[in-house]
Order: sequence, then structure tokens, then C-alpha cells
Amino acid sequence: MLLTTYRLLLAVFVLISFFNSALAADNDSEASITLSPQFCITSAEEQSCDLTVVLNWEIDTPTTVCIMSDHESLTKWCADSPTTHSLSLAMLTDKDVQFVMVDKETHQTLAGVKLKVTPTAEPQVRRRYRNPWSLF
Amino acid sequence: MKKLAVLLLTALILPFASLANDAAMCDENSDCITVGRWDLGIALGYGVKSNPVKNYEDIPIYLAPTIAYYGDKWFFDNGNLGYTLAEQEKFTINLTTSFSADSAYFYRWDPSNIFIAGTNQLNVGATPVARTVRTFGVEAEPVINDLEDRNFTLLGGVEAFIYTRAGIINLSVAHDLFDVHSGMEAKLKWLYSIAIAQWKFELAAVADWKSEDVVNYYYGVRPSENVYWSEKFQAASATNLGLELTTQYVINEHWELIFLARYSELADEIVASPLVNEKNTSTFFVGAAYRF
Repeated sequence: MLLTTYRLLLAVFVLISFFNSALAADNDSEASITLSPQFCITSAEEQSCDLTVVLNWEIDTPTTVCIMSDHESLTKWCADSPTTHSLSLAMLTDKDVQFVMVDKETHQTLAGVKLKVTPTAEPQVRRRYRNPWSLF
Repeated sequence: MKKLAVLLLTALILPFASLANDAAMCDENSDCITVGRWDLGIALGYGVKSNPVKNYEDIPIYLAPTIAYYGDKWFFDNGNLGYTLAEQEKFTINLTTSFSADSAYFYRWDPSNIFIAGTNQLNVGATPVARTVRTFGVEAEPVINDLEDRNFTLLGGVEAFIYTRAGIINLSVAHDLFDVHSGMEAKLKWLYSIAIAQWKFELAAVADWKSEDVVNYYYGVRPSENVYWSEKFQAASATNLGLELTTQYVINEHWELIFLARYSELADEIVASPLVNEKNTSTFFVGAAYRF
């Protein structure tokens, strides 16, 4: 009796594990998104980036996606069909922009990528208190 | 009278200076330096630094360096070491070292004469002069034996820069750090810089005060030099007045042409010394400079 109960519990555990694995495999985003360019370096004069970025994504199952970002010019954009795999965006920004790709139907997050905005490392200067030729 | 002229000239220039932009900002009108990087340069050309000390020759100038390094607070600039206590838009307060220009007249390798060629040693070929005698109230020109050492010393003190639309006002007070003469010096300097295209001009008017100890050490007469004058000449604190013009013509990142003129009217208390036979000193230099 004890052995039967043990076997039953083991079978339930295996079944649960199997379904969990299957579910996890289904949820695991076999999806990737890339961004080009990934970095933008601002100059001292132009302290923001005026550029066009291209997002490309791959998903192992046909999925219609939406792209969201924390940039005011693109809060949300959705593809028309699962065959769309890229998006080109012109933007002006002075800070990092985070892009997130979600499933249009389930709103499940599939992948994300970030545009890094980095200011140019300007050499620090300070007042000079003596004329360079003060030794005369 | 000449001092009055210097002051009048300063007063004439000031109203024009008030039209200028704030020279304190780091722009083309003001010299700034990159933090954490050595600024090295050398100037080659010809110039002369006059020597007011009797029987000591003028000092020819063929080359001179500029050496500076600024950290966030510490700085080293042409021999002066400093620490910035406060740096604001309108003013700066530094602790700083400096050295007196007076020892340079007596000592060839004084830091003020660094890299300056030639000699300012006693001119042994000078015309002999009669010994000092007091005969029927008549004073002959004194004979001064070989001078004892007038040593170099570093001064340490505090300085302030006040940035105004009329230029920069520089105040400093410093005391002898090595007890060579135990004296004090103070300076009031007004600087005005302007850049026009590739030209940079810096005009300065300066009043240099030296305590009695400083004047006595450098310009007083020691008994071994002349017994009579060691008692006769009584040193007193003194204020020299001067004008300085530094002109640079920037050719490119590394090369520039420079023209410098310095004029200082010696205080009556210094001119009264039997060691001194000029009422003023001047320096000029024309040359090319390379900045590394």
C-alpha cells in the first residue's frame, strides 16, 4: 500500500515536471532582438543624438509583435503581421532608450534591447593663475 | 612723479577695461589649463632684464621655460606651489608659495633667472670709486666691498583673485618660509586680458610691498661691506609700482610669438640704498615659443 502510494506520488511528480517543462519551453522566448547602432556618443556641442536606429528580431514561432520604448516619440508600435521582422526609427535623444518587444496577442515580453547614449569625455579644465610666461 | 604717472595710466585704462567681458571665464579671453596634464613650453629669443644693483650687470635673456601642472586642488605653476581653498565664479582663494624678485639681482642661479643666460655677477672691471669719507660735510660715492650672500628664499602665504568685468584683481600676502630675512611681502595686482583673433594681450599694473626686513636683507649694507653705510642706511618698508604687458601671437597649437615688457619703479626706500644706482628696473623679451 505504501509502495503503491509512493509510486502514485512519483508518477504525479513526473507528470507535473513534464507539463512544467513543456510550459516553460513554450514560454521561453526563443526570440531575440538586435539594435543598430547600440551606442551613441554625444559631442560637447551637440549634447543629444539625432539618429536612425534599426531594430531586427527573430522568433522561432510566427508571432506578431509590438515594440515599446521609454522614448516619447515611440511609446508603442505594433507589426501588421508575423512576417515583419524589422523596424527603422528616427529619433532625437539625450539619454538611454530601452526597447521591449512583446507578443501582440498575449502581451508577454519576448525580448529587450537598450540604446546607450554616452557623452564625450571632455578634459576637465580650470583657471590658470599665472601667465605662462610669468618667469620673466 | 613717475609713480603718479603709473597710477594715472592705470586710472585711464580702467574705464576701457570695464567694457570688457568677464575675464574669469574659461574662454578665449582667459587662460585655462587642463587638469592633470603637464603644460610645458620653452621660449627662445632675445631680451634683457635690467639690474638696479650697482656694479652688477644686466641679465640677458635667450630662453625661458614655462612649466605648470594643475590637479583638482593642488597646482604647480612656474615655480609656485599652491593649493586652492575656494574656487568660485567671482573669486578664488589659494594658499601659495612665491619667491621674491630681489634675490635674482644678486645671484646668477636664482629661480627668477632660471634658463636666463649671461651673468649678473659683480662686474670686477667696474670703475673704482673712492672710499666713503666724510670731509667737511661732503659725501663721496661709497665703496662697497664684495657683497655678502643675499640668499634666495621661498615665501608662503595666501592669495585671492577677484574676477570682475574690469579684469582680475589679485591680492597676496606672504611671509618668508625659511627665516632667511623673516620678512613679509604683499601684492596688489590688476590684470586685464583680451584676445583678438590670434592675438592675446595681458596688461597688468602691480604694487609690490616689501617689509623692512626684506628691504634691509637685500638692500641694506652689512658692516663687512661698508661700515659707514651699514649704519647710515636705515631700511624701511617699500612699495614698488609696475606695469607689465604680455603679448602672444598664436601661430598654431604649438607655436606662438611672444613679446613681453615689464617696468617697475623702485620705491624711494630702495633707491636710497647705496647698493642701488637705478630708480627703476625693466625687462623686455621678443621671441618664439613652443608649447608641448
